[in-house]
Amino acid sequence: MTKRMTSGLLAIAAMAAACTTAPEPAHLQFAADAPTPVVSADPRVKFKDGERYLRDLSANLNIPREEICKELSRYDCVTDAFRIVLGGVEAPNLLVNEPIAEAALTSPIAVDRVALHVCTKRVKMDRAKPAEAVLFKAGAFGRDGRAQTPDREWLNSTADAVYGAILLRSPSAREIQNLAAYYTQVAEGRPANSVDAAADWVTLSCFAVASSLEAVFY
Amino acid sequence: MAIRKIRLGYIFAFGSATALLLVAALAPNTPLVQSASAKPPAPMAFCHAYPEAKACNTGFADCTTCHTTPPARNAFGLQVAERLAPGLPRPLSDADFLKYLPEALKAVEDLDADTDGYSNIVEIMAGTQTADANSFPRTLACAETDASRAASAQWNVCTYDATYVFKKVHLDFCGHSPTRAEMDGFQKVTDEKAKLARISSALDKCLDSPYWLGKDGVVWNLANAKIRPAHAVKSGEDAGPVPLGDYDDDYNLFTWANSNDNDVRDLLLAQYFVKRTGPVTLEQISEEELAKRPRGTKQPVPVEKRVGMISTRWFGAVNTMFTSIPRTTAAQAYRSYLGFDIAKMQGLNPVSHEPMDYDIKGVGAPECAVCHGTLDPLTYPFTRYNGISGGYSYDDERLKAYVRVDGPRVAEAPAGGVILGQKVADLREWASVAANSDPFAIKVTGDYWKVLIGREPDVNDQAEFTRLWRGLKSSTTYNYRVEKMLHDLVQTNAYGRP
Repeated sequence: MTKRMTSGLLAIAAMAAACTTAPEPAHLQFAADAPTPVVSADPRVKFKDGERYLRDLSANLNIPREEICKELSRYDCVTDAFRIVLGGVEAPNLLVNEPIAEAALTSPIAVDRVALHVCTKRVKMDRAKPAEAVLFKAGAFGRDGRAQTPDREWLNSTADAVYGAILLRSPSAREIQNLAAYYTQVAEGRPANSVDAAADWVTLSCFAVASSLEAVFY
Repeated sequence: MAIRKIRLGYIFAFGSATALLLVAALAPNTPLVQSASAKPPAPMAFCHAYPEAKACNTGFADCTTCHTTPPARNAFGLQVAERLAPGLPRPLSDADFLKYLPEALKAVEDLDADTDGYSNIVEIMAGTQTADANSFPRTLACAETDASRAASAQWNVCTYDATYVFKKVHLDFCGHSPTRAEMDGFQKVTDEKAKLARISSALDKCLDSPYWLGKDGVVWNLANAKIRPAHAVKSGEDAGPVPLGDYDDDYNLFTWANSNDNDVRDLLLAQYFVKRTGPVTLEQISEEELAKRPRGTKQPVPVEKRVGMISTRWFGAVNTMFTSIPRTTAAQAYRSYLGFDIAKMQGLNPVSHEPMDYDIKGVGAPECAVCHGTLDPLTYPFTRYNGISGGYSYDDERLKAYVRVDGPRVAEAPAGGVILGQKVADLREWASVAANSDPFAIKVTGDYWKVLIGREPDVNDQAEFTRLWRGLKSSTTYNYRVEKMLHDLVQTNAYGRP
């Protein structure tokens, strides 16, 4: 599992890099790509901070805030574990009166950890109670409960659900295609009808979107 | 790339004695300190020469106009110094300095001190820094083709983007994004006025949220640096091991003054205390209830001597402590509510013949007098308010108790002092001058600006920022009501342009 997760993360990193620098593979290219965005002359993007980040994920992924992320199954990820590095304050005991001016070296690591934790939890919950699933919906399992190879429609609708739940918007055709194409990398070397592969893909897709600039900043 | 932070124009209501530093540095071979009071008002003189400069909104330029760390000059200061009455012996008299400064400034107008391609005069008028190559005039306007492309993009980076603001208001004031249904609903609105109305309505709702107004909420945390809580010495609810005072009183008063239809000047003028009655509700405490409090949480200063946040038990406990002339207390008040950090040589406005050094601390030494000429007269009104010793009470005769430790003259320290160049009879008057001053309005507005915009106002923000803090003071605009000011803040380009 760890190995698969690691390879998945590497795949995401590769995908992210592809989005920004290297030319995309032919199967990911769209004829009618969106025009290059206009660059803001005076960008004022702000970090959402740990508490707001978790509140959003809590509301959007339908996991109670107090349960959504616990380190060692005990310490709240933001309140107790990563409060300061995720932009929080703690004046009476730590004398941190204001959020740190610059992100700490560990801030992105903490964000990634929280995102992965939350996405893993959501997919586990979805598998445990398919009727209440938010991201990993039952389509891939077939009507009689037997696993089937996820088809394009299921991949697309799941990608749509991931974007809709986390970023509160519909994904572009390009974004859907990127996530759907990513499934082949996650499933590589595994049975075509592997439920685990499908679940890992949803987890990692959720992670990719939840750790995106758009989800973390505003 | 983001514009670097440029503080010109933000906190520039400095006292005239910052002139001391400018003069010392501008006049070649002049030692930094000769006396703390006999120097011309250089920041003011600079602004007489350039009244339209953005750095001169309140009449005083910043020290950094000519200095790196005073008295060291920056590149612009060096250029001016070189041309300032070159034939005359040093140090220049005040009169000569004032006489020749405009000429020297004129002489360097067409030079480019920081070699960023913009002449000194262009930078002075634009409000950018003449000695910082990374600070130069720039336009934020988009080219026509960019503007049309941006208008159809997810974020319109060329103008105020209401959809972006709708989400931002929820995150800033409610602590979470709007729901997808709310976002979709907002995007269906086409009329710009209707969009602004929806934003305003969302803001109203969020201003009453626990995230904004509750314990540990945004407003609460805005007070951290002013209150400087320390759990180890907290009394009252959730007391620490050595309970001295309950800073919940301070947080509650701060939240009260900054919320609903309350006057934010009560931060310095309130003669009452406030208690929390629910997650987002507060109410004033009756004097009877206050009197019944247990010993560790009493507020011993009598009603008529109370001065908002700066005469509370906690403020005395952590700042005045055991000192006769509580300079730390005055400096903290000056920093917290007027935005002047004397340790950074801000807000210096020395008074003639000060510091008198009543407590024999050696503050009359020239290198100390630079700041203490301002700080000590600022402090005298606090000398009748006890800290830990004296039980946090008010006592007209308080200083007599310090004669044994600080010498007989300590009892001669006056109850009156000077703040922002104005004589005051006591701390009530001190607070009144402070609360009605420009620096107070600038500080209040600036605190919110920093939280909501994410940085201090820079040169491109000056028009909107100045409108807000002036509006806070105006009885016909916001009349010291923070929430009214915030409604306009979220409609600024600084807030709403991604």
